[in-house]
Amino acid sequence: MESEVNDIKGVVFDIQRFSTHDGPGIRTTVFLKGCPLACSWCHNPESQSAHYELFFNKKICIDCGSCNKTCPFGNAREILQDSELRKEKCGSCLLCANVCPANAIEKVGKIYTSDEIVSEIEKDLPFYENSNGGITISGGEPLLQYDFTIDILKKVKRKNIHTTIDTSGFASKEKFLEVAPYVDLFLWDIKITDENLHKKYTGAPLNPIIENLKVVDLYGTKTILSLILIPEVNMNDQHYKAIANIYSDLINVQGIRLLPYHEYGNSKNERLGIMNHDSYSEPTDKEMSDACKAIQKINNQIKILQ
Amino acid sequence: MKKVDRRDFLKRSSAVGLGALILGMSKDLVANNRIDNTPLGWNTPMHSMAPKRLSDLTHRLAKTALSGEHGRSMVHADWTFKERDDRSLSNNTRYALAAMSIAQNAPLRIDSGEIIVGSATLLEASMNNVPLAGLPSTSHTTLGYQNVLPIGYIGLRKKIESRLKQEDLDDKGKDLLKSMLILLDAAQVWNNRNIAYLEQKMASASGDEKIFIQNTISTLKQVPENPPSNFREAVQSLWSMYAFQRLMGIYSGIGRIDEMLGAYLKQDLKKGNISLSEAREILAHFWIKGCEWIGNTDSKGSGDAQFYQNIILGGIDANGKEVTNEVTYLVLDIIEELHISDFPTAVRVNRNTPDKLLRRIAEVQRLGGGIVSIYDETGIIESLVKFGYPIEEARSFTNDGCWEVMIPGKTKFWYTPSDSLVLLHSVLGLREPVQTLEYPDFESLYAAYIKKLEENIADVNRGIDNVYQGDDHPLAAMFVEGCIEKGRGFDNKGPKYNVMAIHYGGFSDTANSLLVMKKLIYEQKYLTLSEFTQILKDDWKGNEPLRKLIQNRFEFYGNDNNESDAMLQRVFNDYTEIVSRVKERNGIYRPAGISTFGRELEWLPQRKASPSGNKSDAVLATNFSPSPGTDKKGPTAVLKSYCKMDFTRVPNGAPVELKILPNSVKGDNGIEALMGLTKTFIKLGGFYLNIDVIDSATLIDAQLHPEKYPNLPVRIAGWSARFTTLNKQWQDMIINRTQQIV
Repeated sequence: MESEVNDIKGVVFDIQRFSTHDGPGIRTTVFLKGCPLACSWCHNPESQSAHYELFFNKKICIDCGSCNKTCPFGNAREILQDSELRKEKCGSCLLCANVCPANAIEKVGKIYTSDEIVSEIEKDLPFYENSNGGITISGGEPLLQYDFTIDILKKVKRKNIHTTIDTSGFASKEKFLEVAPYVDLFLWDIKITDENLHKKYTGAPLNPIIENLKVVDLYGTKTILSLILIPEVNMNDQHYKAIANIYSDLINVQGIRLLPYHEYGNSKNERLGIMNHDSYSEPTDKEMSDACKAIQKINNQIKILQ
Repeated sequence: MKKVDRRDFLKRSSAVGLGALILGMSKDLVANNRIDNTPLGWNTPMHSMAPKRLSDLTHRLAKTALSGEHGRSMVHADWTFKERDDRSLSNNTRYALAAMSIAQNAPLRIDSGEIIVGSATLLEASMNNVPLAGLPSTSHTTLGYQNVLPIGYIGLRKKIESRLKQEDLDDKGKDLLKSMLILLDAAQVWNNRNIAYLEQKMASASGDEKIFIQNTISTLKQVPENPPSNFREAVQSLWSMYAFQRLMGIYSGIGRIDEMLGAYLKQDLKKGNISLSEAREILAHFWIKGCEWIGNTDSKGSGDAQFYQNIILGGIDANGKEVTNEVTYLVLDIIEELHISDFPTAVRVNRNTPDKLLRRIAEVQRLGGGIVSIYDETGIIESLVKFGYPIEEARSFTNDGCWEVMIPGKTKFWYTPSDSLVLLHSVLGLREPVQTLEYPDFESLYAAYIKKLEENIADVNRGIDNVYQGDDHPLAAMFVEGCIEKGRGFDNKGPKYNVMAIHYGGFSDTANSLLVMKKLIYEQKYLTLSEFTQILKDDWKGNEPLRKLIQNRFEFYGNDNNESDAMLQRVFNDYTEIVSRVKERNGIYRPAGISTFGRELEWLPQRKASPSGNKSDAVLATNFSPSPGTDKKGPTAVLKSYCKMDFTRVPNGAPVELKILPNSVKGDNGIEALMGLTKTFIKLGGFYLNIDVIDSATLIDAQLHPEKYPNLPVRIAGWSARFTTLNKQWQDMIINRTQQIV
């Protein structure tokens, strides 16, 4: 048996219990910080950086002034509202977050050991058992914190818990092959199928993502393709055709889920002090059902999951 | 009128935005919250997601009943009867003669197409009073329909007559039983009038309609007088018995309807006399009849149609055999399709409950309204046995009208509600000056609280000692074991079990408050007790940062945090131990229960600021659920926290409510998730679970545009009410409870 370090640490920005959209049954989803992609529509912008960050939610601030009193620059409120000022002045000392009584300033990202994550996961064990649920590691990109992720997977697999990885697909082939034995299901993001546009919008090349998908599929692990749909970006037949081609090459794919873009990320950008973020329009219910029909028109064998 | 859309809602629901929306609403909108005489826009199906199995006719009858049309056409009993003031007659005789006069004179109403007939049409009755007699009637019990249905009134009459023949009854007893015989005569008179009314209708009918009416007449000629010989007769008989109780203003639970009716349906199906869809129509008409008091009067603040007509499904019978049968599923079909919340329905489940049933429950729950709730019966039966009931009776439990468990057909039930949190406020000197506020350590503070609770419970017990020396309610009494045998009335300790449950609420906030004081004052020594109580006396004025710090840094009950859950566990154990010291006194049983039933509003004026970071005007936890806004880890954590309690200690019950967003339980996986919650609730050992699938955006839209939501049920506490019939304070409470999950 390979040796194992017991307390591998990782940076986690959220643990969500009763998660019902990230794989089958009732799940606990662990969100890891850090992502190799930088999608301009990201709905969890706080997941992109691998480091701590500070959220400042002005709406719930009670103006008590505690943060400014403790800030080495004496000016936490102003600094946090502007990402440029943050770069210049904020030393991430976290003092303001520690004193803020209203949680208006919040530290995003907490260090956990894999054992701590496992014990958090185990709290809902009976719910997984009674709903065919389990855990999902999401992000960010889980494989960016590869050691942490695989350690969690090995530990929960030993307890016979169903495991899902929600991935951007962007990591080395070797890493995917190494985690695959411990993964029951991959939720695989395919954001754009045009090589150039993919690079433009996400900052990363498309090719490795598709290659990794094929590798994982050949290995025999189940996958579900996750398609974020943004009217201005990818809601067109060309994209759907490319998706249908990828889909029909796969052996163990379980279906496709269509995720409408939502503006939820905007408020998070504001909390990070990022004012000049791209904005897109949300697809309407009709546009979503049209997309569904368009994909099935191309290939009616494709299973669209709810 | 635009629906508040989700995005817009999220923007507006920030702490400030929502406050302005809810709190700043103009009075005009509140006044508009009545549906009154405005015709309803019933151009949409009952529920857009519900399958349609029932006939158009049944849908039409349901819509009419739900619209409040019948309730609005109810009349006062505006005549009198000659014996009313005849003091030479006993109270019971005059009661029975009032019933006779009502049977002879109350308006009848039978609508075309109704399979199940008989209407309690007097307004006084719908307001829980005895018409003509001008007396309050009774409620909060499930009468013994399961005993009378199989023998019919004819069997009941024989039982009363043979008891009268035994020479050992005293005068009171004889008087009571004789009045029961008059009541049975009255029931027959009423039934015969209904038959005559139908015969008149039939005279002008032809073809199919004539046959239809003829069938109804034949049914009424058989029941409720005689034992039913088929399913239709059984349903009609149950309704006739129930409706006659209603005619005299009695609000009663129905009980285990699938156990009562299942055998009749099974036999009919076997003989090929009926199809399942025919049976569904018949039973649906029973459900529709249960709506006919809607619109009877100006609604209470807490919503319309609270007539305590509870239904229980599933579970094991007295011999330990599973009850679930075709009727169980038909009931769920009907609720799913018609969305009628007026029979609050609870399903008894256990570890052997088939997945098929759990799936159906989840499918119905998902449509919202909180109409179908869950008892984990194994622990409840154990708690009842521990309390002293024989196992067969414990296995037969139903409820009183909300969710407090009781033995049907054998019980006079009532309860005393008290607030546990206000006692903590007293101990802290927030309500009246206290002699000393010196508690050197947490244990002495805790001991002072428990002492206060003990004293309070002792007071409650003394108050209970002399209850149940009241009216005989002979009509209810003849449906309750013990009354005929002893010759004693319903409110005179005639029933086999006379129960006055002791209920306290507010424990979630009490435990949270104790935890805060333990940590801040005694462990971290952040401030002294007298400093803290001064802050509370000032209602946190000038101490908003501390208040926020407490709200945000503590993980309170409901987050699966062992420390905070242990605090509640400790209070829970002490409370149930104190109540269990007096199980019975003066012939009155006193099981412990935990409830608020919406009294978190009524208790506001007495409540002060709480150490758990709440100002004096905050509406706090309902029943045994976490305090609003404190359950930050979702429904699984709430259930984990809740199920840490040993519910065999609380024989009258302690419910938990879960609010779940429709979005999180959509699709096939949503059903798996809902089933997973229920199965785990059973596995961990809970008591009573209510899941309401609801979106606060919908509720806010309904508050703004009530006319769009004539039948939007929401779970309140032990019952569901149509949201638009709640007053604004109640609506806001429900929205705030739901708000946390957005």
